[in-house]
Amino acid sequence: MNERFRIRAKRNDRIAKWVITLGGMLVIFSVVFILLLITNTTLPLFQKPSADIFAKFLLPKEPTQEVLAIGVDEYLETGFFLDREGVFNFFENQQGLATDQHSSSPPAENAELASVESVGRLQYSLLWDDGTLTLEQVNFRPFFDEENNNRRSIVHSVTRKAVFPSSNEDLPIMSMGRVSSEGRLTRVDHLSAERLMVTQTVISETLLGDQEEEHFSEVLELPGQDAIKALALNNQGTELYAGTEAGYLLRWSLSEAGGAKLLDHIQAFTDGREITALTLVFGDYSLAVGDTQGQVSTWFPVRTEKNSARKILKRIHTLSKHDTAVIDIQPSLRNKSVLSLGGDGFLHLDHMTSERHLLDLGNHVPLFQYAFSTRGDGLIALTEESRAIIWKLDNPHPEVSWKTLFGKVWYEGYDEPAYVWQSSSANDDFEPKLSLTPLIFGTLKGTFYAMVFAVPLALFGAIYTSQFCRPRLREIIKPTVEIMAAIPTVIIGFLAALWLAPLIEESLGAVFLSIVFVPVGLMLAIIIWQFIRRNDPLKKLERGYEFLAIAPVLVLSIAIATTLGPMAEDLLFAGDLKQWLFEEAGTRYDPRNCIVIAFAMGFAVIPIIFTIAEDSLSNVPPALKAASLACGASRWQTVWRVILPSASPGIFAGTMIGFGRAVGETMIVLMATGNTAIMDLSIFNGMRPLSSNIAVEIPEAPHGGTLYRTLFLSAVILFLMTFVVNTVAEVIRQRLRKKYGRF
Amino acid sequence: MSEIATIKVTDPVIEVENLDFYYSGSKALHGINLGFPRKHVTALIGPSGCGKSTLLRCFNRMNDLIDNIDVQGHVLLNGNDIYTSSTDVIELRRRVGMVFQKSNPFPKSIYENVIFGLRIAGVKNKSVLDETVERSLKGAALWEEVKDRLNESALSLSGGQMQRLCIARAIAVNPEIILMDEPCSALDPKSTARVEELIGELRENYTIIIVTHNMQQAGRVSDYTAFLYEGFLVEFGLTEKMFMKPRKKQTEDYITGRFG
Amino acid sequence: MKTYWRTGEPCVWGTGAALAATLLIAFILIIVVMINGLGVFWPAPLEELHLKDGSTLLGERIQREPVHDGEGFRRQYKIANRDLYGLDFRWIDESNIVDVRYPDEAIVLEREEHGDFFGYLKSLDTVDLVFAADIDLYQSLLASHRKVSEMREAVEQVDDEISKLSYKLEKVRRNLIKAEYQGLAKNNPKVLELKRNQAILQDDFKHLVEKQNQNVAAMRVHKAVFADTNGQEQQIILADMVRIYQPNQMGLLGKSWFYAGKLKELILGQPRESNTEGGLFPAIFGTVMLIFVMSLFSFPLGVIAAIYLREYAREGMIVRLVRIAVNNLAGIPSIVYGIFGLGFFVYGVGGAIDQMFYPEILPTPTFGTGGILWASLTLALLTVPVVIVATEGALGAIPREIREGSLALGATKFQTLMRILLPMSSPGIMTGLILAMARAAGEVAPLMITGVVKLAPALPIDGNFPFLHLDRKFMHLGFHIFDIGFQSPNVEAAKPMVFVTTLLLVLIVLTMSSIAIHLRNKMKKRYTFGTF
Repeated sequence: MNERFRIRAKRNDRIAKWVITLGGMLVIFSVVFILLLITNTTLPLFQKPSADIFAKFLLPKEPTQEVLAIGVDEYLETGFFLDREGVFNFFENQQGLATDQHSSSPPAENAELASVESVGRLQYSLLWDDGTLTLEQVNFRPFFDEENNNRRSIVHSVTRKAVFPSSNEDLPIMSMGRVSSEGRLTRVDHLSAERLMVTQTVISETLLGDQEEEHFSEVLELPGQDAIKALALNNQGTELYAGTEAGYLLRWSLSEAGGAKLLDHIQAFTDGREITALTLVFGDYSLAVGDTQGQVSTWFPVRTEKNSARKILKRIHTLSKHDTAVIDIQPSLRNKSVLSLGGDGFLHLDHMTSERHLLDLGNHVPLFQYAFSTRGDGLIALTEESRAIIWKLDNPHPEVSWKTLFGKVWYEGYDEPAYVWQSSSANDDFEPKLSLTPLIFGTLKGTFYAMVFAVPLALFGAIYTSQFCRPRLREIIKPTVEIMAAIPTVIIGFLAALWLAPLIEESLGAVFLSIVFVPVGLMLAIIIWQFIRRNDPLKKLERGYEFLAIAPVLVLSIAIATTLGPMAEDLLFAGDLKQWLFEEAGTRYDPRNCIVIAFAMGFAVIPIIFTIAEDSLSNVPPALKAASLACGASRWQTVWRVILPSASPGIFAGTMIGFGRAVGETMIVLMATGNTAIMDLSIFNGMRPLSSNIAVEIPEAPHGGTLYRTLFLSAVILFLMTFVVNTVAEVIRQRLRKKYGRF
Repeated sequence: MSEIATIKVTDPVIEVENLDFYYSGSKALHGINLGFPRKHVTALIGPSGCGKSTLLRCFNRMNDLIDNIDVQGHVLLNGNDIYTSSTDVIELRRRVGMVFQKSNPFPKSIYENVIFGLRIAGVKNKSVLDETVERSLKGAALWEEVKDRLNESALSLSGGQMQRLCIARAIAVNPEIILMDEPCSALDPKSTARVEELIGELRENYTIIIVTHNMQQAGRVSDYTAFLYEGFLVEFGLTEKMFMKPRKKQTEDYITGRFG
Repeated sequence: MKTYWRTGEPCVWGTGAALAATLLIAFILIIVVMINGLGVFWPAPLEELHLKDGSTLLGERIQREPVHDGEGFRRQYKIANRDLYGLDFRWIDESNIVDVRYPDEAIVLEREEHGDFFGYLKSLDTVDLVFAADIDLYQSLLASHRKVSEMREAVEQVDDEISKLSYKLEKVRRNLIKAEYQGLAKNNPKVLELKRNQAILQDDFKHLVEKQNQNVAAMRVHKAVFADTNGQEQQIILADMVRIYQPNQMGLLGKSWFYAGKLKELILGQPRESNTEGGLFPAIFGTVMLIFVMSLFSFPLGVIAAIYLREYAREGMIVRLVRIAVNNLAGIPSIVYGIFGLGFFVYGVGGAIDQMFYPEILPTPTFGTGGILWASLTLALLTVPVVIVATEGALGAIPREIREGSLALGATKFQTLMRILLPMSSPGIMTGLILAMARAAGEVAPLMITGVVKLAPALPIDGNFPFLHLDRKFMHLGFHIFDIGFQSPNVEAAKPMVFVTTLLLVLIVLTMSSIAIHLRNKMKKRYTFGTF
């Protein structure tokens, strides 16, 4: 015959084989790829942070004097150090060549610096040897140069924020100055004889618009015989902390000018070890404490009893341990990380919330000056032989650990450790609370209530349809239920939230009465039925029309419950069940609650369970049924003892697959629950499951950020939950099929 | 199974030499040596699972469709080995037609069913197709029954008609050999008689190899018979002789119905 | 009696009750949607209530329910006139009602903004649009409104031109940015050409906008004065009125006609008032296009994968595992697919496309943000398992003998596939595809993170080259429900629209799945042929 055609046919066959094989493999591969990609996105969360040495050089001008502070811009391009003369020496960060100097105009001729304290973002409070304190701000401004091909260059400058005049006493050992957002100046001096002098200047506007300055000054005495070893003052100058040689922590409130109040005076550690370093963690809420044992810990005030207003400092997080005493601690300006320097010149980077020990730095040479870059992704440090080292940190997600994701964490402002999901807030210094536990709990809670509602209805319905129903009706019922499965969940969710939820709220009593009335009504109907079933026209009902006869009974029972509901509420709960619940049972009634979810999500799940269960029930060979009936078993006995065991794998699989569907359902829970991440089993309030949490939060999550990756992690959890459940269903189905292998 | 009672066939159309066949490791055919005489009907008989269908499917390499099989030995079609890598399986199957146990018409019209083999070979000439349909249906003794409804679905035919349609479909491509795998096992006696009659007519032009369970049928339709038992060829000879006077005890037992 | 219990008859009744309850719930759901959805466009009579305190109220009755504590009932009225009263709805205790009237001359105005207006026509100020002398006031209002509508059509045409121009302008602007990015000098002829072009377009644009402003001003001159039921007068611009009718005077025919008009607006019109009024056209269009683009991907991929699994792959452990995996995939939450779509398509592929083809306007994303293409691809992944399972089922249902019959006649595997197997399994494949489409039509969660928006500025297909804009965001019926039901400022006023949208979506999805299920059941019967 046609030779060419045959050759072509064969060629086509070969091509098709390749194309189909390739295409098939591709689709299957892409499916595996989904899991891999989602997982891959979450992996950086658990990545070990690393620090690469970005540059290493000798400081430009061999510093004849001591370096009192060091710093670097956010692009790690320009660094600077502050010398004893109060000069900021800038240098570029490739070879450390000096660029320029900015003298911070000393208050007096030849004045030199006595001490320097770094305050927040590139701000330094400088104590001069004449007792004057100045607050200097180093500014880096990126600048896009049009001449220079729009390349970025950085201009820098130093500005003075405030001057605190000398207090005419001896030169303090150490001084700190702050300007609050209202312009109040606060200066704290550590004077000899272990006294602290607080000087505050309040600028207020008079009615006429003139500015008026008020000065307050007071001296704080240390209780008992002790020596101050470390001080910390918050950015607003309202809270003062001190650590002492005898291991005491003190906290004063300076918010009332001239009226300092000692709030805390506690022994930090039972062994009375000396406190050597204090600093406030970013956000100025937690206090990081270093001691002679080399331990770094963070503290904040916590309510002592449940409702008391008094709060005392408490150790919250214990971070890494140095081999020697902690010399100094600096906070990150980006997150709740702290950098601590041990006496051996080692730097430790720890994150407070996650308690993760992130990095050890400086294994070769002891360090003595160091600073974070403002973005928190770089670090500059100085060795004793005045060599500068700049590290670039790869530390994208320090706040995440297994513990913060799944365990109880003691967050700032909380009175005890808790599982909390609160991903964002208005301020920058917010501590993200990314516990997945309440979300997983919410998922399981919603699923549980939905299954409680759906499983009995679906399974019993399937049994009836496949075994007792008239075949002609079955051919209508089955497609009807299948079509039910196609109803978009957004519609179910919408009806649940805007139609069902108000209805249930209005007639809560009736809902509970129905739980009693419906079974009672059914029992009554069955008992009555016994007496009238012998009548001939009615007998026909027992040939597969029972469900039609029972439907009016259901409707009637619910109708009665609805009528009696308000009366029962009046009688038993003084007219308002919700109020009663709140007062007597202590549960708040949330209009979008688990009852609504049970109905709505149950409704979404019923068709799936029903269809699979019905299929497996009808696939039981009729011979089995016939055999059982022939032995004299009743139709129910046949179903219970013969059909159900044979069909159990299918029923089990259906339930599992329904469970998987409920776990992943998003729109219904998004619309019909309050979406509050609470951990409460009560049926009267809502929850926030993993799925709707993703839908709510992902549009706000910056690409590649911690929240973004955490949401991907919750997607992985969802994926695994459904995948495991479905696989278990499949495997058990196959195994049970072997056991009862009759179909 | 030391010796095999067989006869030599002159000018065999298919010659089987030392054929071993394995299904995923287990041996299903053991060293079969057999020649099939041209333009005669040869029946393969034996109890269930003896390998007769497997042997039959070796002749058009239908066994290739099953995974994990292994064939050793040779099957020569007109002297050419069909189990070489250069064998064109498609071409082979055109020359060796097959009729299956269950009639398997395609869900197309009767006409399209018959010319399916031509269509896939690229024949488009309408008159050739029409001619082939008439010839094949006549050849399968079905023409008179269906000539007025060639465009109706093949699924509307009765069981016997469907099986004859499948035979017509097989002879439409003019094969040399037609393999029949228990073609009548699913038919009623009357349809069976029609098909058997048809086989008698077809032997004029084609070599037919038929697998059957039914002794009487083998006796009625075949010229030669091969008896297989547990994968071994036990006896091969003229049907008449073998049924009258089997040379092997096993054959006798089987033919007389003591087992099987 | 004892036997009756022992044989378990009550249990049978119990299972029957479960079935009855299931069906009842489904029935109630459909009924609720129908009642609330179908009635929305039927013009309800306007009731004028005279209350005990002497005030009157003109409104449409919404519902009646018993008063919470105490006797009697209360009624909810839609009183409209949001700009006058601030609230659209009001509850009235029946005990406060003295009299109810149905004034014939009560008018309903559907307006572009501030919702409806209920009241009475007082006078016309329509600058000789019609000669009001010989016809009555209401008729001349209608006539003037028709004329204004004609003017409005002209205005809309100019609007189209303006949007086309602005699209061109935007293109030129992008090309300029691109030229700059490529480092072309400012006096490069190409740049100059672009600049010149831009100047011309800007000039045209300015002229058109001026002209348009004049047109609009001319159109908005025409006004009418209305009064609410308490006599408070208000001037309303004719151009702001969408529809004017007197429900209390309408007969059955008039109402039906009105209903049909509203339906037409629903299907073909643009949404108004933050989606709570007007039409659904962009949402319907977006949904259909989404499904279409999705099918374009999921159909061939699903069918090829199924053919591979069933016909080409060697049956073994791996294929079994893959099959379990594919079955499982159908059960993976849609939100997981959504997040995958976001991570892979939007940020991964889209980001790469932007880097390669649109680097000049970064960081403004082109494909690196949600869009209809990414949403479709995400849904395609979601529905591929459905197609695979259905196709595999259909192929598996074809008896082995059919395949062998074809192969025994010398057909190649591919010929067998194309001529026998695919035609035979086509109903099954169609079923799978329709089920997949129905699922895609109802799926919202993954869309929310891959490109659906509440109000898309332009359709993904329009008259501007290249006509198909797969990078655009789109609207979707399902998301529309979520959005107006849950995120609109006035949920009560939005409810009718949500129910109408719901009804439409339910109808679409139920029709599609009914067809699919019908096809499948028919196919089941088809293969029981032959003599065995």
